[in-house]
Amino acid sequence: MKNITKVLIPNRGEIACRILRTLNRMDIPGVIVYHPVDADSPAIEMALEKVEVNGTTPVSAYLDVEQIIRACKQTGADAVHPGVGFLAENAGFARRLEQEGIVFIGPLPETIEMMGDKVAARTFCLENNFPLAPSVAESGTNKDFIASAKKIGVPLLIKAAAGGGGKGMHIVQEPGDLEQAVLLAKDEAQRFFGNDLVYAERFLEKSRHIEVQVLADHYGNVIHLGERECSIQRRFQKIIEESPAPALDPKLRRRICAAAVEITRKAGYRNAGTIEFILAPDGEFYFLEMNTRLQVEHPVTEMVTGLDLVELQICIARGETLPLIQEQVQTKGHAIELRLYAEDPENDFLPSTGQLLVYQMPSGDAVRVENGFAKGMTVSTAFDPMLAKLIVHGNDRTKAIELGIKALEDTLVLGVTTNADYLSRILCFPAFAESRIHTGFIPMHAQALKPPQLSIEERNMLLAAAALSSREFIDPAFKVPEPYAFFGDWRN
Amino acid sequence: MQRRIDLLNEPYMVTAFDQHKEQYLQVADGTPQPAVLTIGKDNHSIIQLGDYKADIQMVVKGEKAYIRAFGRTFTLGIVNPVEQAAQDAGSGADTALAPMPGMVVKVHVAVGEKVLKGQPVITIESMKILTVITAPRNGEVSQVHFEQGKTFDRNAPLITLKEKEKE
Repeated sequence: MKNITKVLIPNRGEIACRILRTLNRMDIPGVIVYHPVDADSPAIEMALEKVEVNGTTPVSAYLDVEQIIRACKQTGADAVHPGVGFLAENAGFARRLEQEGIVFIGPLPETIEMMGDKVAARTFCLENNFPLAPSVAESGTNKDFIASAKKIGVPLLIKAAAGGGGKGMHIVQEPGDLEQAVLLAKDEAQRFFGNDLVYAERFLEKSRHIEVQVLADHYGNVIHLGERECSIQRRFQKIIEESPAPALDPKLRRRICAAAVEITRKAGYRNAGTIEFILAPDGEFYFLEMNTRLQVEHPVTEMVTGLDLVELQICIARGETLPLIQEQVQTKGHAIELRLYAEDPENDFLPSTGQLLVYQMPSGDAVRVENGFAKGMTVSTAFDPMLAKLIVHGNDRTKAIELGIKALEDTLVLGVTTNADYLSRILCFPAFAESRIHTGFIPMHAQALKPPQLSIEERNMLLAAAALSSREFIDPAFKVPEPYAFFGDWRN
Repeated sequence: MQRRIDLLNEPYMVTAFDQHKEQYLQVADGTPQPAVLTIGKDNHSIIQLGDYKADIQMVVKGEKAYIRAFGRTFTLGIVNPVEQAAQDAGSGADTALAPMPGMVVKVHVAVGEKVLKGQPVITIESMKILTVITAPRNGEVSQVHFEQGKTFDRNAPLITLKEKEKE
């Protein structure tokens, strides 16, 4: 058994707050590592101690392994929870912590190497006869790779071996576009993941993204906490996730969860992890990748199971046996997570920046808010543009959708363009309510999901409100004492 | 008093004046109507324009009004006349504007170089997404506004093509 008396979090935003909340409840002091741009964020307030880190860019500070290890020593933190992103799937980081005698709250470095690298994970699944969609990894020359990729046939998906979060991914519909897409994907992979290895995989149209939450301890006990459906994606990145997956009947659910448990066991995995699958329209499912960490969308699983995944991660890292067996995992109701992004759905979902002039999150028992921002903070392009997550839990899917619509109505962000209204339109859209969803849902319904047209009266009211709110505009016209009115605009 | 207000990339003129001691606004090509903005709590306001009335949520900073109403959230630009004049003078040449803040990853062309429609001219990175900007038409590069590695803001000019010669 290992003692965990103080946990350092080299992360930021909502996930840092999420981890700190559990640490505070467990009475384990939390240390937050932060770059000066995040000095005003709520996570800093919640942590018992804070350590500033620096770098050429804010992101590089959160990726600086040696600075983070120094912060552990300086504060006496004997464990690190990496959160999601940044160093969460970095085997080198896990290994350095191991050398320093600091507990990494996650799997072994070797497991990260095998399952975190997407090409290695696919090889592992192939060797062990787990279901895999046709794919080809890069080897030899570019020409050879492109030739073998062409053999699989279009549509193809080009992905970075070390990738994540939808970055470095490109769909190729025409064989002629393959070379350009491969070059762009390699370039992105090198820049963002420091590894330009890419692979090509058959792109299954109208498929669903189903993933299974697994938990494994150090003694070979493996359980699953059911599945999540994350088919609503833009830029290959999830924006709405739910549990249970509406597409699964009990038989398919048992098969897909059993496959996830088997993969986890065979990989010698420990800690919390997620096995992602694609589910084709014909009911066949294929291994996509494993995330060897907590997922952004883990709260939907927590809502339906009533478990705290961060707490379970800490228990496993301490060397405890899993506190429950498969039969004890009970799920209740339906949970939906809505990711609130600083982005403009009306402009190709491009990230938006600015100051959060108004930042009101919903409150009450019906909604769980995972938030990392506060009013007055500036949203820059330095980080991923996610602001917060709203998680609702109802007796069934219809009720959860209803609660989600209400939660979005109660959310008000002004100053930075967000996807709040867009998320609301998805929840209100009949195809979503009827669970007719797949990973191409957003492009397919692009037209129908556009905002309602403004009537001339509505448009004029907006213009009038803006005009009347501008004192500079209105003052000379309305507030000028009579004798001076004569001077009109020339007044100083 | 007249001011240009931009909404959804369209410019509108709004004219304010006094009539019978009341605030009147002429919005776009409408007729002048009495207009009242009542500011309430928690960014809630009520806008009345003639016979129409709506609950809106609004905040104003600088020359921007941010409004949530009618199931959408809008950013309205209250354009300063000086800025407007500068914008009007700058038109004529074809300039690629930055769709969002970011950094130049690679400049594919040099000043004076002839480019073909669709040819990559500059690759930019914003939020870990690479975007290759291509030439909108055949032409000659007259200006490269940022070198490789430089950062820029939204709407910054990136590459300018020489004005199209009259044929």
